[in-house]
Amino acid sequence: MSGIINLRLLEPGTTISLSDGSTAEVVSNPLDGVWVFARYLSSPNDSSVVGTEEMIFAQNIVEILNTP
Amino acid sequence: MAASGNGGYQHGLVDMATGQVSREIFVNEDIYQEELERVFTRAWLFVGHESQIPKPGDYFVSSMGEESVLLCRDREEAIHVFLNSCRHRGMKVCRYDEGNTPVFTCPYHGWSYAADGQLVGVPYFKEAYHGKLDKSQWGLVEVAQLCNYKGTIWATWDASAPPFLEYLGDFKLYLDLSLDAWDGREGGTEVLGGIQKWLIPCNWKFPAENFSGDSYHNISHRSVDLVGIGPSGTGRRDMQERQMARRVQICFPERGHQTGVYLLPKDQPTPLAYQHSPVVSEYFRHCEEERRRRRGEWGRLTGSPGEIFPNTALHPRQPRTIAVWHPRGAHQTEVWRWYLVDQEAPPEVKDFLRQYYIRYSGPGGLTEQDDMENWNYAHAASRGTIARRYPYSYEQGMGFEVQNFAWDGLQLPGVVMDITEAKSSEHNLRNLYRRWAAFMEAESWDELAAWRRPEPAKRTNGQSDRS
Amino acid sequence: MTDHHEAIAHLLLKQAIEEFLYHEVELLDERRYEEWLELLADDVRYWMPMRRNVRFGELEREFTREGLDINWFDEGKDTLTRRVQQILTGVHWAEEPLSRICHMISNIQLLHVRPPVPEPVEVAVKCRFLIYRNRVQTETDILVGKREDVLRQVNGQWKVTQRKVILDQNVLLAKNLTFFF
Repeated sequence: MSGIINLRLLEPGTTISLSDGSTAEVVSNPLDGVWVFARYLSSPNDSSVVGTEEMIFAQNIVEILNTP
Repeated sequence: MAASGNGGYQHGLVDMATGQVSREIFVNEDIYQEELERVFTRAWLFVGHESQIPKPGDYFVSSMGEESVLLCRDREEAIHVFLNSCRHRGMKVCRYDEGNTPVFTCPYHGWSYAADGQLVGVPYFKEAYHGKLDKSQWGLVEVAQLCNYKGTIWATWDASAPPFLEYLGDFKLYLDLSLDAWDGREGGTEVLGGIQKWLIPCNWKFPAENFSGDSYHNISHRSVDLVGIGPSGTGRRDMQERQMARRVQICFPERGHQTGVYLLPKDQPTPLAYQHSPVVSEYFRHCEEERRRRRGEWGRLTGSPGEIFPNTALHPRQPRTIAVWHPRGAHQTEVWRWYLVDQEAPPEVKDFLRQYYIRYSGPGGLTEQDDMENWNYAHAASRGTIARRYPYSYEQGMGFEVQNFAWDGLQLPGVVMDITEAKSSEHNLRNLYRRWAAFMEAESWDELAAWRRPEPAKRTNGQSDRS
Repeated sequence: MTDHHEAIAHLLLKQAIEEFLYHEVELLDERRYEEWLELLADDVRYWMPMRRNVRFGELEREFTREGLDINWFDEGKDTLTRRVQQILTGVHWAEEPLSRICHMISNIQLLHVRPPVPEPVEVAVKCRFLIYRNRVQTETDILVGKREDVLRQVNGQWKVTQRKVILDQNVLLAKNLTFFF
C-alpha cells in the first residue's frame, strides 16, 4: 500500500492501481493534486476501457505500482 | 429606482440642461448596487491582452465589475473569459494570478474544468452521481460575447449588447491611437510584464471622468512639471507638437466614449520627441515618418487621454497605458494598469519607455499620485448629508460644441470642442454622465442602441447628433 | 586574525551598519530628504518588484523582474532626486500636507562582507521594515516587508548602492507610494 499519495508527485509513466481493480499509466499531470490523466492498462470489469485515457480522481488511486 | 430623487437619473441626478450632476451618484450605496446591475452587466469591459495568454492553457485572472474572471486560451487556441467560480459550490477555481494549466480544478470538492470551460472532472461521478449529472450543463459561466480587437480582449455578459465594434462606433479611430504601432501599421502592440493593481478610496467615476477629458486640472500637476520627468527631460511629457496643433475634445453621445486629441496643421512635420535618448528619439522619428506616410492626412492626429464607457481609460502616448477602474463598493476603486509598447520596438526603446511609465503612472508615479489625492478627498468631502445636497458643476463650455468639425482639410468624427483657445471644456465629462444616466434608466439595449433606430429617432435627451 | 578578534570585528561592523541604517531612516522620518539623498551612491539602483500569486513549483514567477518588467519602483538617483524635489515644491498634493511617517527596521543580517573584516568595502544587508504612514486626518498605511541592500564605502562613509524592497503585498493596499523605503 502506498498510503495517502500526493498526486503532484506522480510523473508520466508511473503505473497505478485503482479502487475498481484497474491499473493505469499516468500520461500527464495537471499538478492540481486532485486529478491525473491516465491510460488504462487493465480492467477486471470492462476490458473495452483498456488503452483509453481518462481523468483519475485522487481518492480512486490505491497504490503506486511502478515509477518510471 | 433607488434614491433617484425627482426626475430620475436622466433629468434629475444628471441634469444636462444645467450641466449639473448630483453628488449622490458617487456616494450613494443604493445607486452603486443598481449600477452593478445596470452598467456593469450590460456594457463591454476590458479584460486583458492576448499577449498575456500566448499559448494553449495560459490564463490570466482578471476582473469584470466586482467579479473575478479567468481570461484563458484553450487547446484549440480559442480565447475565453469565464466567471472564476465553481458551479458546484462557488469556490474560486483559480486563486493564482496567471500561469498555464490544462484544467482548472476546484480545491473544495474537486470539480475540474478544461480551458474551454467544460466540466471534465467530477469526483465519484459513477458512484455518488450514479452517472446522472449532466456535465454539459455545469461548465464555467462564460461571458455572452468576447472580442479580440488588435490584441485587446473585451467581454460582456449581455448577449443583446451590440458587437464590440458597433459598441465602439467611430471611436475606433481614437482607440487605434493607443493600439496601432508607432509606424502606423495596424496593431502590433504588446503588454509589458507586470500589471499594477492598487486600491484607491473613491468612487470609480472620479478617475473615469478625469480620463474622459478633464483638461482643466493641469494645474494640479504643477509639481511634476516643475521637477521634470518627461522623456525629453522637461515637464512630464513632450509638448512641442502641442504648441502648433489644435487641441480638440471629441465625444460620441450615443456611445458614451470620449477623448482628447491633437491635430497638427497640414504639412507640419511632427516635432522631435524622446530627446533624452538618442536611440528612442531616432526610433520615434523614423516611425513617425512611416506613420505619416501610411496614414496620409490621418497621421496629423495624435492622442491624449480618453475613456471607453464605462470604465476603461486610455492614454495613447506619453505614457502609453490602459487602466480599468474596477468598482469595489461605492467608496473604493481597484485600479488595474497595463502598459503597452510596440512588439517590434528595440529593447532599448522598450526599457526607456518602461522606466518612464513607472515614474509617471501608478501609485509610484509622480503624476498619478496627485490625481488620486484629488479623487480621494473629493469623494470623502461629498459623503456628508449637507454636501450631498449640492451638485457638481459640469457646465464649462456648454453650448460651444461643434458637429462636423473640420480643420485644415481634415474632418473628425464625433461631436467636437476645439479648446485650443478655450484651454478647457467639460463637454466630454457631460457625455460620460449622460451615457451613464441612460444606462441607469434603460430597460434594454433597444433603448441604449439609439443609432439603430431610423431617423428621426426618439431621443431621451433631445440631442440630434449621430455617432 | 584570531577567531576572537574576527568575532569582535564582525560585531563592530554590524553595529556600524545598524547605526547607518537607523540614521538613514531617522533622516526620512524627520523629512530631511536632501540629506538622505546624500547617503545614496550616485549609481544607486532602487527597485521594488510587484508580486504575483503563482502555483507551488512556479515560484520563479512570483516577482516581476528588475530591468524588464513593470515594477513599483525601478530607478536610479536621478529619479529619486526628482521625487524629493517634487515633495519640496510644497505643491505635490499627494504629499502636501506632509505625511507623518515612522520607519522601523529590524532583523538586520549581514549577508556578505567584502573583503572580510576588519576593513570591508562592501556589505550586503538584509532587514525587515515596518513603515507606518499617517496623513491628513485618519488616512493610515502600514507596509511591511524585507529589504536587501548593498552598502559600499565611499570616501570613508557607507553609501547605499542597491536597494531591493520586498513588500509583502499583491494588490497594493496603499493609494500611493510618495515615501521612501
